[in-house]
Amino acid sequence: MADIAELLRTLFSEETAVTVAIIVLLVGAVAGYLVWRGTRTLLLRLEVDEAVEGTVFDRTMRNFGFSTVGLLALLSAMFVYVLAVFIALQVAQLMNTQMFWTRLMEYLPRLFIAALVVILGLVVGDKASLAVSERLKSIKLPEVTLLPSLVKYSIFYVAALVALGQLGVATTALVVLLAVYAFGLLFLAGLAFRDLLRAGAAGMYLLLSEPYSIGDEVEIDGNRGIVQEIDVFVTHIENEDTEFIIPNQRVLRSGITRIR
Amino acid sequence: MTDIDEVLGSLSADLDAVVLFSPGADLYERLLDDQLVIVVSDEDERAAERFVELPVEFSALSDRIRFGIEGALEQEYVTENDQLLCLAATYGDDMDTAVRIRAGEFTESGVYDLFVNSRAEPGVIRDVVEVAVELGKKGQKGKPVGALFVVGDAGKVMNKSRPLSYNPFEKSHVHVGDPIVNVMLKEFSRLDGAFVISDAGKIVSAYRYLEPSAEGVDIPKGLGARHMAAGAVTRDTNATAIVLSESDGLVRAFKGGELILELDPEEY
Repeated sequence: MADIAELLRTLFSEETAVTVAIIVLLVGAVAGYLVWRGTRTLLLRLEVDEAVEGTVFDRTMRNFGFSTVGLLALLSAMFVYVLAVFIALQVAQLMNTQMFWTRLMEYLPRLFIAALVVILGLVVGDKASLAVSERLKSIKLPEVTLLPSLVKYSIFYVAALVALGQLGVATTALVVLLAVYAFGLLFLAGLAFRDLLRAGAAGMYLLLSEPYSIGDEVEIDGNRGIVQEIDVFVTHIENEDTEFIIPNQRVLRSGITRIR
Repeated sequence: MTDIDEVLGSLSADLDAVVLFSPGADLYERLLDDQLVIVVSDEDERAAERFVELPVEFSALSDRIRFGIEGALEQEYVTENDQLLCLAATYGDDMDTAVRIRAGEFTESGVYDLFVNSRAEPGVIRDVVEVAVELGKKGQKGKPVGALFVVGDAGKVMNKSRPLSYNPFEKSHVHVGDPIVNVMLKEFSRLDGAFVISDAGKIVSAYRYLEPSAEGVDIPKGLGARHMAAGAVTRDTNATAIVLSESDGLVRAFKGGELILELDPEEY
């Protein structure tokens, strides 16, 4: 950016530089408006306004007479305006303390991205928690309400981390915390879902190759009967008075005896 | 005017419960204060305490009421001697109909039982009925078709039947309710034989020739071999059979060897 200003200044005399600065300001204003309109139509075309509807962030914005789409468009327009003002100031050589302003110029895009990430994180986190609670709606268990908020705050946390990283704040401790959290989650999930994962892997094989199908008489793990149902996790086998529901990893481990 | 009020008042006197069919929110809340309210709807939007789910859109009000009351009886919300007031929307979207009825008024047809207490999952039976209804509505290339679906207890049904030809659904994992399945079933419906569907809705086979013993199966006279086979197979196994008649275009459901439900696809 400073280069453009430098170039303009070598091209024109001092008086013209002021005029050019004013022109740059005007162009910036028009460009800002165009960006505002462009972002707005693009976001509306992508139906972002419908996607974010109902999230806490959007509702808060509406209380202040804003909308999420409007805010995003405004933010990008502001970015362009501020950029134009800086270029104009530099062209007119109104600032002598070069260092400070150039530093600020470099900082501006990062500030912009940080703001974007925060908004995105708030909206996505809220939306994800809504989606999860919608999925869990049929499960009538009070503790289950913990899960959506867990998802929400995890996303908030990651968004905050990215934003802080953009601003150059030292986030190492927070990253370590995130790593510990992710590892714990992965480890516990692996431990908890071990049987389901094994049954699922075995079930994949059984479904793809179908060594036995519905209606066959088989003996698995000492349970003899007619196969009624095979799904990813379990196989249902039924004889006259009992129905065995056998996890698929046991089917593979004990082998299958087909009875003709 | 007073006469009208008297007539309406007699409808609502000494009620034991109110049965609401797909009610609006405020109506449900208002009635809840001093009445025992049972909601009958296709979706439990009100999170009602007493709720009967409608599996298909019964177009006729009498069918809807019958299903709702059988469901309420089955779940023991009401007893046979309870006086019920049914409020429903017959023509528009608003409540326009009030019917007063004793819960034990009609002999139980087992319609509720068919959907809820069958071996197969309720959603599967509903999907199959919908497929049959749609097939009956459109037919195969404009010509009426017949079809026979045997739902649930697939292992036993497979052992009591034999293939007429190669099974097109072998090694496939197609379930009823999958988006493409209606088209597939429509294409295969020109084949002879029955479709066998498992408890969880997997289409196990087409082209099956059912061989149950038809002994002692009592179905209305005049129905053909397809219905006889359907009745017989449900008596021999725990399956439910859903038949689309080629001659009169009606969809009928059999369970335990008996005709339980009769629907006209044209009315949907």
